[in-house]
Amino acid sequence: MNALAGTGHLIRFVLRRDRLRLSVWVIALTATVAGSIPALDDMFTTDAERQGRAALMDTPTGIVFGGPGYGLDDYQLGPMLVNELTMTLLIALAVFNVLHVVRHTRAEEESGRAELLRAAPVGSGAQPAAALITAAAADLLIGALVFASMAGYGLTAADSLAYGLGIGLAGVVFAVVAAVCTQISEHGRTAAGTAFLVVGVLFMARVVGDVSEPGGNALSWLSPFAWVQQTRPFDGLEWWPLALYPAAAAVLFVLAHILAGRRDLGAGLIATRPGPAGAGPLLRGMFSLHLHQQRGAVLTWSAAVFVLALSFGTLAPEVETMIDSNPDLAVILGGDTDDLVGSFLGTIGLYVLMGAGAFGALSVLRARAEESAGRAEMVLSTAVGRTRWLGTALLVAVLATALITVVGGLGLGLGTAVTLEDGAWTGRMSGAALAGLPAALAFGALVALLFGTAPRWIPLVWAWLGYSVFATMLGGLLGLPDAAMRVSAFEILPTLPTDEFDAAPFLLYLGAVVVAGAVGLAAFGRRDLVTS
Amino acid sequence: MSTAITDPNAVDVRGVDKSFGRFRALDGLDLTVRTGQVSGFLGPNGSGKSTTIRILLGLLRADAGRVRLLGGDPWRDAVALHRRLAYVPGDVSLWPNLTGGQAVDLLGRLRGGLDRERVRAFTERFELDPSKKARTYSKGNRQKVALVAALASRAELLVLDEPTSGLDPLMEAVFTECVLEAKAEGRTVLLSSHILSEVEKLCDTVTIIRQGRTVEAGTLDDLRHLTRSSVRATVDGDPSRLADVEGVHDLAVDGDRVTLEADHDHLDGVVRHLSSLGVRSLVSNPPSLEQLFMRHYGEEPAGAGNGHGGETS
Repeated sequence: MNALAGTGHLIRFVLRRDRLRLSVWVIALTATVAGSIPALDDMFTTDAERQGRAALMDTPTGIVFGGPGYGLDDYQLGPMLVNELTMTLLIALAVFNVLHVVRHTRAEEESGRAELLRAAPVGSGAQPAAALITAAAADLLIGALVFASMAGYGLTAADSLAYGLGIGLAGVVFAVVAAVCTQISEHGRTAAGTAFLVVGVLFMARVVGDVSEPGGNALSWLSPFAWVQQTRPFDGLEWWPLALYPAAAAVLFVLAHILAGRRDLGAGLIATRPGPAGAGPLLRGMFSLHLHQQRGAVLTWSAAVFVLALSFGTLAPEVETMIDSNPDLAVILGGDTDDLVGSFLGTIGLYVLMGAGAFGALSVLRARAEESAGRAEMVLSTAVGRTRWLGTALLVAVLATALITVVGGLGLGLGTAVTLEDGAWTGRMSGAALAGLPAALAFGALVALLFGTAPRWIPLVWAWLGYSVFATMLGGLLGLPDAAMRVSAFEILPTLPTDEFDAAPFLLYLGAVVVAGAVGLAAFGRRDLVTS
Repeated sequence: MSTAITDPNAVDVRGVDKSFGRFRALDGLDLTVRTGQVSGFLGPNGSGKSTTIRILLGLLRADAGRVRLLGGDPWRDAVALHRRLAYVPGDVSLWPNLTGGQAVDLLGRLRGGLDRERVRAFTERFELDPSKKARTYSKGNRQKVALVAALASRAELLVLDEPTSGLDPLMEAVFTECVLEAKAEGRTVLLSSHILSEVEKLCDTVTIIRQGRTVEAGTLDDLRHLTRSSVRATVDGDPSRLADVEGVHDLAVDGDRVTLEADHDHLDGVVRHLSSLGVRSLVSNPPSLEQLFMRHYGEEPAGAGNGHGGETS
């Protein structure tokens, strides 16, 4: 049978199933771009303002979240868009593509639904093909809309086209990266985790390369995050780096195809091994069960956050060098060198909190999965009460969130301390991360609250997390009003180490988190269990 | 570990209602299980069996009616009562990364006591491989895990929701043995099932529900008396006059061979008439549970047998 038989039907099926999900992604991403163009144009009206902004983009923080820095000499609207928006767009696209591909391949196999389809006249490659084609279509649509909004605003059509095409093609590469990762593990969750890890490494490769050398070095060129900006839109456009995207996609696609041919439906390349015939003395209660279920994820997230934070920390000398070589910069940014390193680290610290917060929400969300799958039913039919069941789950989530936060702060501080040869940074950054802990706990607490009171509304938490990340990353740039900024979970407390720690808001925030968790816990004890 | 049993009924449910949104899952349901007995709980898919069981386990709260389990309120006293019961869900879902053996041990510990010797014995009887990860188990094997955990527990009450739907006939036989042993140990069993032969073999009493209502309840003998036996005979004389005999239904005559359904109250008269015709062979079968079951599900819901509500022998 033709391996691609039935692909057309499956494509329509994916589009039907995900019509809302796909629309939200496409609209959210293009609206961010379309909205940013006039916003940036209005905000920076004079050359002086634009050059001030360019100086900011020439700092390490600017390079991490901006790019290699093309067009900073004459920072007009075009280069500004390319510098300010690319990383946000690419990170969002990476998340979208990984989730989409895993959802329609490995997660389907895991649930057994794929078996149902494969028993019909549907080829072995049809499901991955349908997942990749729909992902690529969405990516290219987003790219086309980005092009349309830029060209429509009066920017040079050729440069806008190169940029939009680059964004879309980068999305396609992320989709194929995910397709390779889904071949390796039996589990959708692990596959997504592996893919995100790869994406993180690729991101870091560009960051380290770009920070080390203006315009990036060889390391930058290894990363699909770099290529779109290496076409230098609005700053002497060169088309050829775009060719790297289809080339990389083709190589990865062949790799995925080879791996797929070596395994059975539902199986991973790494086979499941038999385990112990009985529970060890450690696996004896609800706390240890929750912990056992999550230990792999907690360790992976902690390690990933630590390594990312550590590598950001090691960039601290670059921050100093940059300021030494450009004294004007220090004047523009104000304050002494320590403050500038601190503000760089404080910004990265917020990203540590984002990671820890996302994990906290996912961790509490597992309670929901346990409930729908019927495992909660079985456990709650033993001598385990509702409060103990959910309470221990929340405790695990809190501890894991705190661990990831501390480990992130520690990594950041350690990297800085080693490269600046100043041990004080380690304690300073660990403390700074802990001072933001309530923000990281907020998402898990909200999941708990909704889980107990109105489980249907749990997706609101993702909306809040998405908004918080958006506001913290782009809010200042887009000139969001203070009130709108305050809705971000990360903008409620002062950002250490540049700001002073303030106990009152910290305790108030922590109190709100505890209350939300407690209300969720109490409400869960009073509602019916829902098993699907 | 069984505490003093004072209540004659392990399960006592009276007039329970439960709605999910606009869907009425239970509508005045009655269910009684006497302590020490094995009670069958029958009904078509979606009739409310699992909902009833979840109410008994305190996982759902009844909208109205009275629910007593082991002398307590299953919603309020859930944890205390759960120490005394063991539950096997209809669709067993296990933690994919735990082995079957780990899951059995864990469930035992969560229930408040793990008897390793009993676990080992039941694991062997059900031929369960305890070192395989749960994600690799078939439905039958997942069910075995829950069964081993429940049967090894020494709980006073076993609540089993279609526990054999994934087992092969060999394992079904092992299951039957185990339930009979549990009964001999004085334990109470509530067995929801679709396998009527299993219920006939095991159950002292049977409750049949439909669309959230109890339509039939009592001992199998009681229920049989409410209905008819099928009679097949070969006779010398002319059987056509049988149609006039009181209590005869669905008469079919094929030469000298007769088949008919006879009301239990009139069986004596029917046999006398047959005998007067000169019987060469005679077979009479009590109604099978299947016939009882079909009688209730074949017909329209119109309040069938509502009068028998819940009174066990």
